[in-house]
Amino acid sequence: MLELEFMQRALIACTVIAAIAPLVGSFIVQRRQSLIGDGMGHMAFAGVGLALLTGIHPLIGALGLTVIAAVALVRMSKRQGGGDLSLALLFYGGISAGFLFAARSGGGQTAVVGLLFGSPLNLQWWEVAAITALAGVVLLITAVVYRQLLAMAFDEASAKVAGIPTQALTLILTLMVALIVVAGMTTIGLLLISAMMVVPIAAATQIAGSYRATLAIGSGIGALSAVLGLTLSYYGDFAPGAAIVVVAILCYLVTSTFALLTGRYHRRRA
Amino acid sequence: MLEFERVGFSYGRQPVLTGISLTIAAGEFIAVVGPNGAGKTTLVRLALGLIRPTDGAVRLFGTDSSRFRQWSSVGYVPQRANASSALPISVDEVVRSGLAGQLRPLARVSSTQRERIEHVLEVMGLQQVRRRRITQLSGGQQQRALIARALVTTPRLLFLDEPTTGVDAEAKTALRASLEHLVNIEGIAVVYISHDPAGFAGLAQRVLEVRDGQVLPVSGSAPVSSASHPGA
Ligand SMILES: Nc1ncnc2c1ncn2[C@@H]1O[C@H](COP(=O)(O)OP(=O)(O)O)[C@@H](O)[C@H]1O
Ligand SMILES: [Mg+2]
Repeated sequence: MLELEFMQRALIACTVIAAIAPLVGSFIVQRRQSLIGDGMGHMAFAGVGLALLTGIHPLIGALGLTVIAAVALVRMSKRQGGGDLSLALLFYGGISAGFLFAARSGGGQTAVVGLLFGSPLNLQWWEVAAITALAGVVLLITAVVYRQLLAMAFDEASAKVAGIPTQALTLILTLMVALIVVAGMTTIGLLLISAMMVVPIAAATQIAGSYRATLAIGSGIGALSAVLGLTLSYYGDFAPGAAIVVVAILCYLVTSTFALLTGRYHRRRA
Repeated sequence: MLEFERVGFSYGRQPVLTGISLTIAAGEFIAVVGPNGAGKTTLVRLALGLIRPTDGAVRLFGTDSSRFRQWSSVGYVPQRANASSALPISVDEVVRSGLAGQLRPLARVSSTQRERIEHVLEVMGLQQVRRRRITQLSGGQQQRALIARALVTTPRLLFLDEPTTGVDAEAKTALRASLEHLVNIEGIAVVYISHDPAGFAGLAQRVLEVRDGQVLPVSGSAPVSSASHPGA
């Protein structure tokens, strides 16, 4: 399958996204905001609908709307202290706007389905490059503010007292979620991209002894899931995005069984 | 180094503290007691600028706490029963995270900072468990890790909010010994909130009680609250 150019493109795009998504995912899991990726996915969906309606590229439309949503979300949760409600608004507003726009545009239905479930086999080289660039930006930002993100994710109040600009960092983190969602929608799909932020991390927590190790293992599990998932989908004719997520979930079952058998980490309820 | 000037605070329409005036000098060890819900944590959050007073002013090292920036001089251990973490995080990582506000992006930990990390791990008796996940530690060890994190920047003023909750007697004694070291050797000022007088007996120079929105000295310690009449 590797001699096929469309498989090469799919393999690169999926592996890059699946390796980087868990890095961002770790911080949102630690902050108990696992659903934020889904909220962003819904906004990206609205952006795609808007793009179809106005004739701009779906990637641009999705990027525009998720970035606006990220800023709005951070401001809303700051004002009301109700992050949960702001997320719900994003969910429902995004999905309904997306359907309205897409229905209006006509002929956008197949494109919409492709983005919901991912269509990595139809990528152009320039799209692979764009996805890699977005993931690269996320990797770079994570490396630069890693320590500050970690301190904030562990304990926000004392991070503030340590002089960390927690509001700015929250915005940066939310923007990174937006970038991952947009970069992942053509490969894994909008419905499942947040799974790739969360599931590899869940798998890694079973066997890692530190935060750094969790990131490294989570990233590796993400990449492995992409390669195995795509291979499965090639030979078994499955939907690629779904196959990748299923492999990641299998990884979780393997690591948690391993942890159980070795009794390596008796997880105390915290 | 910490000053409250006729500070009042309310959550919405519910007043929690009224007309609090107090001063804490360098190197002082102050214990704060009071019933649950009296406003002890609120007092600390006001001191740290995490919430703004409804009335009056709070100054840290002479600067209004909302404009204060010298955060390396201040350490804070928030109130909590146990360290919680959804992800594995090692004791080393927790302690190092105390430096995150001081480090430029991508900068490496300096050798002075590394020495400080080693020092606080030693003072807090954590060297043996530094590679363990924090959630695998006992309650007392977790508290000491959180205190170590607050100490890595070499603060001059340390806030401890109920550090002995969920900690067994032996660990309380160990914590006390560590605090004694901090006060006597490092000359650090401490604001220690606790229900349990055993934790600060002999260490505290003053004991304050928060009750009915007021902060009053407990018998035997000097008066601290000038505007402390009910209804002020
Ligand atoms: N975020 C909040 N919103 C509304 N009321 C609060 C909040 N935090 C604390 N309170 C109330 O303020 C009072 C003082 O709380 P607190 O300072 O935590 O007390 P203590 O630490 O002495 O137990 C309590 O009555 C509590 O219910
Ligand atoms: Mg309290």
